[in-house]
Amino acid sequence: MENSVQFSTLFQQIINGLSLGSVYALIAVGYSLVYSILSFSNFAHGGFLVVGGYICYGLLSGVDVYGFFEIPSSGIWLASLGALGGAGIVAVLTERLAYKPIRERTSMTLYLLIASMGVSIVIENIFVILVGGRFRALPQDIFPSALFNLGWNVTVSSSDILSLVVAVFFLGGLQFFLSRTRWGLAIRAAACDLHTAGLMGVNVSLLISIVFFVAGLLATVGGIFLSVRYTLYPQLGGITTKAFVAAVIGGLGSLPGAVVGSLILGLAEMLTAGFISSQMRDLVVFSMLVIMLLVKPAGFFGRQISDKI
Amino acid sequence: MSMLLEVNNLHVSYGAIKALQGFSLYLEEREIVSVIGANGAGKSTFMNAVMGMVKRDQGAVFLKGEKLPGKNFMVVQNGLSLVPEGRKVFAPLTVLENLKIGAFSRAGHGDVNKDMEWVFSLFPRLKERIHQHAGTLSGGEQQMLAIGRALMARPQVLLLDEPSLGLAPIIIRDIFAELRRINEEGVSILLVEQNARQALLLSHRTYVLQTGHLLKEGLSKDLLSDPEIKAAYLGTREKR
Repeated sequence: MENSVQFSTLFQQIINGLSLGSVYALIAVGYSLVYSILSFSNFAHGGFLVVGGYICYGLLSGVDVYGFFEIPSSGIWLASLGALGGAGIVAVLTERLAYKPIRERTSMTLYLLIASMGVSIVIENIFVILVGGRFRALPQDIFPSALFNLGWNVTVSSSDILSLVVAVFFLGGLQFFLSRTRWGLAIRAAACDLHTAGLMGVNVSLLISIVFFVAGLLATVGGIFLSVRYTLYPQLGGITTKAFVAAVIGGLGSLPGAVVGSLILGLAEMLTAGFISSQMRDLVVFSMLVIMLLVKPAGFFGRQISDKI
Repeated sequence: MSMLLEVNNLHVSYGAIKALQGFSLYLEEREIVSVIGANGAGKSTFMNAVMGMVKRDQGAVFLKGEKLPGKNFMVVQNGLSLVPEGRKVFAPLTVLENLKIGAFSRAGHGDVNKDMEWVFSLFPRLKERIHQHAGTLSGGEQQMLAIGRALMARPQVLLLDEPSLGLAPIIIRDIFAELRRINEEGVSILLVEQNARQALLLSHRTYVLQTGHLLKEGLSKDLLSDPEIKAAYLGTREKR
């Protein structure tokens, strides 16, 4: 009896872990994508997710912003679409306004890192001022909430399945874009050497904008699922720390690494919550980071830097 | 012959350091022109300034009489293609992908596959290694790939920055023989080299650059027997 309870918990937590991990993956690939091109960790990434979350919330609840304009409430698909595009544009603007002037003046990526921290504070506080710091729940009925019983006391909610399916869809789409299209090839070349990609006639500014748009868009997909899971608030972007850890464990700059790292992290968190204590989740996550950095600092799929002269 | 590329009075500085102080040059169609000079003479700076990769303080570049834009990717789209110093192949990409990215600026114009066959006919070794990652190629093969990649843009001028760098003498001879063949097939070449002997042997005309200034210019075969050039750049002296 004891064994079967353990077994069902294990199963249940593996499913929960994969679902959470897939959401981390959507955020982590954005970190890795930007890192692979510009060699800095964009800490404003969490901000993009918050922007997307609030756009989605606003569109769903038909916000009346100070009486200036009113957006009719519409379906979750339309709201998500608006949120993805909106956050993508904010990500592009962030790059153009905050990072590009720095990039053009110096090759020190440390300044970009610091600027990204500043941007993340700015975005967070814009929302505190505009909409307040309250926790907001997306309407509960936006996602189907049916529970499926798989037997042995294991249940899966349809929103877990949805988040997995959507994550696989978007990550697959990203993979297709990178491996099969002309701009995808340019991005992979730029990840290897941005300067030389410019020599191939690639408009590097446009390429960076595309990368930021994709990163903001993917972060928002994750952000919408996170808002459903944890409610929406201006500091929700802080959760991207976990996705960042996942990207580091997988190897910053590597997309497969970001996905694998995210799944490992999601599983570790949920298994800890199931078998030890929910409060130990973060302890386990950050211990994994420390151990990884000690044992294999480049991460599982990290780039080994070697130059052949 | 008609004027293809014209570089007028180029000035480039890095902060207070003046790397190029009024360098001019021209290239006629189907010609090979080389720029030689010692380390730090401003050769790479010159290449980068022509390609729009460093800011020009003064001066302009004309292709067939039309002024080239300052932005790097536009220069490439207008028909200049650079084989960068140190080859800079995209190591994690395959040979095929490296060649495809070379054709990026054409946006589907012309027959890319036909040009790829042409590159393979120039460098059969690349075809043998078509699905290999570029990082696994030898230095000489990487140089062939870098040249092939630049040719995929169907450039009006092929620019090469130190193609002999870090290669064994026998490989250098092969590469320079290929460059001559590429030129015979109608591609105009502008070459920057520290290996003065190879550059003088290959090119029709040569400019000698010294600390940002033009020291000498002339037909390469004349410079090969010029006593000053011989002493300073070829490491030989007149027999007494």
